[in-house]
Amino acid sequence: MDLKATALLKLVYLEMFGHDMSWASFHVLEVMSSPKYPQKRIGYLGAVQSFRPDTEVLMLATNLLKKDLTSTSPITMSLPIITLPHIITPSLALSVLSDLLPRLTHSHPTLRKKTIVTLYRLALVYPETLRPAWPKIKERLMDENEDPSVTAAIVNVVCELGWRRPHDFLPLAPRLFELLVDSGNNWMAIKLIKLFATLTPLEPRLVKKLLPPLTSIIRTTPAMSLLYECINGIIQGGILGSSDESAGGEEIATLCVSKLRGMIMVEGDPNLKYVALLAFNKIVVTHPFLVAQQEDVIMDCLDSPDISIRLRALDLVVGMVSSENLMSIVGRLMRQLRNSRSATTEELNQRQATGVIEPTADSDDEASETAIRPDRGTEEPLLPDNYKTDVINRILEMCSSNNYGNLEDFEWYIDILIQLIRSAPILRSNSSIEDSHSMTRNGSDVSERIGDELRNVAVKVKAIRPPATKAAESVLISMYNGNSSSLTPASGALRPLSWVIGEYAEHLDTPDGALTALVHITRSSSPSDGLIIYLQALPKIFALMAGEDQLGWSPERKTMVSLLMARIIHTLEPLAMHPDLEVQERAVEFAELLKLAAEASAGQDASSDIGQDAPLLLTQAIPSLFSGQELNSVAVGAQRNVPLPSGLDLDEPINANLSNLLRAVEAAALNEPNEDDFETYYHKAPPSLPNQSQPAASRIGTAPEEIVSSYQQGGEESYLDPDIVARRRAERLERNKDDPFYIAPTESSGTSTPLHNILQSNNGPDLDLDEIPIMQLDLGKTDVAMTGQASLKRPKPKPRQRIHIAADETLGSGTSTPRNDDSENSLEGVQRLKSKGKQSLLQVDSSNIGAFSLEGDGADTGIDFERQQREEAEMAKAMREVERLRLEMQRANERIQAAQGVSLEGTVVKKKKKKAKVVDGEPTEVVKKKKPKKAPAVIDEGQVGSSITTEVVKAKKKKKKIKVLEEPTEAQDVSMDSGEQA
Amino acid sequence: MINAVLVFNNAGQPRLTKFYTQLETSVQQRLISEIFTLVSNRPAGSCNFLPLPPLLASSGTSHTSSTTHNDTPSLVTYRHYATLYFIIISTSTESPLALIDLIQVYVEALDRLFENVCELDLIFNFETLHTTLSEMVVGGVVIETQLERVVEGVRAQGKVAKRPVNEGRSGSGLGIGMGGNFAWAGR
Repeated sequence: MDLKATALLKLVYLEMFGHDMSWASFHVLEVMSSPKYPQKRIGYLGAVQSFRPDTEVLMLATNLLKKDLTSTSPITMSLPIITLPHIITPSLALSVLSDLLPRLTHSHPTLRKKTIVTLYRLALVYPETLRPAWPKIKERLMDENEDPSVTAAIVNVVCELGWRRPHDFLPLAPRLFELLVDSGNNWMAIKLIKLFATLTPLEPRLVKKLLPPLTSIIRTTPAMSLLYECINGIIQGGILGSSDESAGGEEIATLCVSKLRGMIMVEGDPNLKYVALLAFNKIVVTHPFLVAQQEDVIMDCLDSPDISIRLRALDLVVGMVSSENLMSIVGRLMRQLRNSRSATTEELNQRQATGVIEPTADSDDEASETAIRPDRGTEEPLLPDNYKTDVINRILEMCSSNNYGNLEDFEWYIDILIQLIRSAPILRSNSSIEDSHSMTRNGSDVSERIGDELRNVAVKVKAIRPPATKAAESVLISMYNGNSSSLTPASGALRPLSWVIGEYAEHLDTPDGALTALVHITRSSSPSDGLIIYLQALPKIFALMAGEDQLGWSPERKTMVSLLMARIIHTLEPLAMHPDLEVQERAVEFAELLKLAAEASAGQDASSDIGQDAPLLLTQAIPSLFSGQELNSVAVGAQRNVPLPSGLDLDEPINANLSNLLRAVEAAALNEPNEDDFETYYHKAPPSLPNQSQPAASRIGTAPEEIVSSYQQGGEESYLDPDIVARRRAERLERNKDDPFYIAPTESSGTSTPLHNILQSNNGPDLDLDEIPIMQLDLGKTDVAMTGQASLKRPKPKPRQRIHIAADETLGSGTSTPRNDDSENSLEGVQRLKSKGKQSLLQVDSSNIGAFSLEGDGADTGIDFERQQREEAEMAKAMREVERLRLEMQRANERIQAAQGVSLEGTVVKKKKKKAKVVDGEPTEVVKKKKPKKAPAVIDEGQVGSSITTEVVKAKKKKKKIKVLEEPTEAQDVSMDSGEQA
Repeated sequence: MINAVLVFNNAGQPRLTKFYTQLETSVQQRLISEIFTLVSNRPAGSCNFLPLPPLLASSGTSHTSSTTHNDTPSLVTYRHYATLYFIIISTSTESPLALIDLIQVYVEALDRLFENVCELDLIFNFETLHTTLSEMVVGGVVIETQLERVVEGVRAQGKVAKRPVNEGRSGSGLGIGMGGNFAWAGR
């Protein structure tokens, strides 16, 4: 046995290095049952380290645990107590509870405190534990003569329970207050302050009582941790927030802030800096002005060599930003980003040198790049990529917050954005090409965000459109020229940028250059979601270049235009076979349109005199496709506010005969390539460049999911596509009626026409796409309302810049800003869902205990609030209830055994219930509780819960003895009990 | 509450792992290596708080500062003594500065028990490490913060084995004493 124990000890050591030892669980059990204490201890250690809730021998261990719990030796007894928290399951909790409870009154204080903590962990998995245990724990807490370390342990537990169920601990406040004032134990004082911080929001009177001792602690304590927690408690308890009614509140706020400032100023203790920044972060929500006074020290922290401190300072800076300090803060961050460039590569080298395994592989060309780069800023701290991403995100957040309310100089902002675009791709170049999959999540995300930001500014601020467009243009062209090697066609920023140059093409410096760059980008391989945007931008620029109707139709112009068209068509044509449908559709549409235009321009004789006009198709039709309504940014939630047209049934297929239609379209499309060849042969210059696009197969699988939501233009265009195409066709036909040279195309010449025709004709009678009121956003009204607001926010705008920042548009009333409501609600909902669905690693599941009523009384204080909660969580609770009942049924025998131990506690609870004042409660409930034997009819408190429980009730009748002992926690329980006793 | 207590040396080899929530062994190892990567890249003189490792950050709610009180681990506190890193992962209900003190108490208790504790002691008597820890923290809740009582509690459970004394060791201070001249580089 000695050998075995030693072997187990070594195994436990190996387990620490990641070797699985679950196979040895039975041996662990063997050693656990050894009579010798040292061996037993090793056995229990093995259990702690290796047992999981699904370990099978756990069932066998139950008896052993129970035996050791009743051992005579205190040190043996403590072994199962400290082991239980690691291996606890609801059924195990149930069976050891009766043995654990008497340990609360054990003569040995060490055992008492361990037992208390273990009971808490039991309660987390099996809330019923608290019912018998809580009165005893409370008794311990109230006992003045209790060992101080036991009291401290209780306070720890109460603090853990406290934030889950603050209501239940309000009655304890006097005793806790006493402990806070009297005890010299810093750890316990910290815990108490934390507990009070959760209690004060519920009981405002506590604030007055707490303030003097807290202030005195802040003034006198030598322990920094206690000082910090006092301040923290004051912040969290909302004491600062309620400072209006008394001057004392103001005083304490300034005291706190000055203390925190002192903490930051302390030289050589970064921990204090860190926690002080944490505290500032909490204050900044309610008292931004107080924090803003400390700007100087906080800014210093931004340049701290410590990433943790920097991150906290960054958080803080975002909160305290205002129009005055925005530029200096952003400037500081920008400097950091720029200087860190060489540091990043250096960091890579250093990591390679130290031989630490890196999750991201380093490419070889990276090393060559290092050599080229100037070696400045070597003394700068090494910045990890995600920190830089974070910084960029924060800069954007700061500038764009409040609908650009803090921003005064938009041209400066555009410069910043351009600079960011240049520095952001450094992130990408850090990771090698083969690693780009993981990087696209972070790297291109952030560069896309920058691009989006530029686009937003261009859309929202009319005055800034020309510079914004020029900036976008310069980025694109420089990319095309290969000036900045870091920009790749896959860079996320290009998409919004190309949208900008397309949409606001009239502001371009050199439309020709932009077009060339865009063509180049489109040709070089890029994912389909980018292509969609580029495709849309191409004809827009073309329309601008070709569509000037002032100029005459000179031969030069004719040549220029037809060359342009040839180039664009040449770019578009390969994309007609693109695997992505969206890309394909757009490519085909525009290619066909341009072919028509080419036809028209070729047909129109050019002459140098002024009288000759350019073809109308070029000057009027194509530009009119892209002018029309001004595009404005739409609020996130606005789409949902669009009223659903009556009679629109989305479940009904638009065309029942869809498959046939598609086949017909396919057949039509098959004819198309021949005609294209024909056309190319006669009307176009021969393609000069080889096709550079990637094989189609490599693009499969990059699905453009977020396109519709993130690009308004894309979304609307694609949405209205059939409509626009139809209009275009109609216009063309109409115009060509007058054109004697025009030969009307046969029906099969247009690729996508059959489908659109069919859609149009089928939808025509009952669903007119124009009637869907997506375009009927009330532009004028909201615009005025929101810009009014925006200008209010900036009371003294510089006269030079009278900037209108268009607000997001929404439907419905402009006052209630449904955007915020919607987005927040939905976000919250998602978050709530997430937190329910996915649990964090290492997280303790305490959802049970939150729903558990400690006092076990329907008429307790605060029960109304709980009931409200309960109704919300009705469904989840019902499920849990069923689960619990199932468990109970499984262990009916064990329960009867346990009942003897529990019965005493049951009476204690009842006594307390009488003390508790009856607020209003449900009269029926109270009646039921007082005379449960009568068993009135089951009252549906929660429909779901009761209906489920009544089902279960029948099966459980045999156990009525136990159920009597249990206080009904909630309506479901009540109904269940009464049903049983009937 | 405290979610985990970890001790590893400068090379990232674990010397003590204690998780107060049940976790797969492989996940434990990943977490340890992630934290080690974070901790080893920190410059000297930086603060004792780590940003959340990716494994925890992905599921945690570190951005929403409004929900401070929750069950998710949000705080990684570490302390570096000579060759060893002591790490505590905890939720936001713990006080960061107090945790630093807690590590200090733990190390001091070990120092008392072993008399000039060094990494070797922890390897040969790693059971004592666990015992000491369980005198201070049970189930993620701190039960004792007073040095004397912790030491007393461990001693009550039996004699603490001493390493074979084969080298003279100088220095009584904790940081210095701990592996001050320790040159046993990994196994």
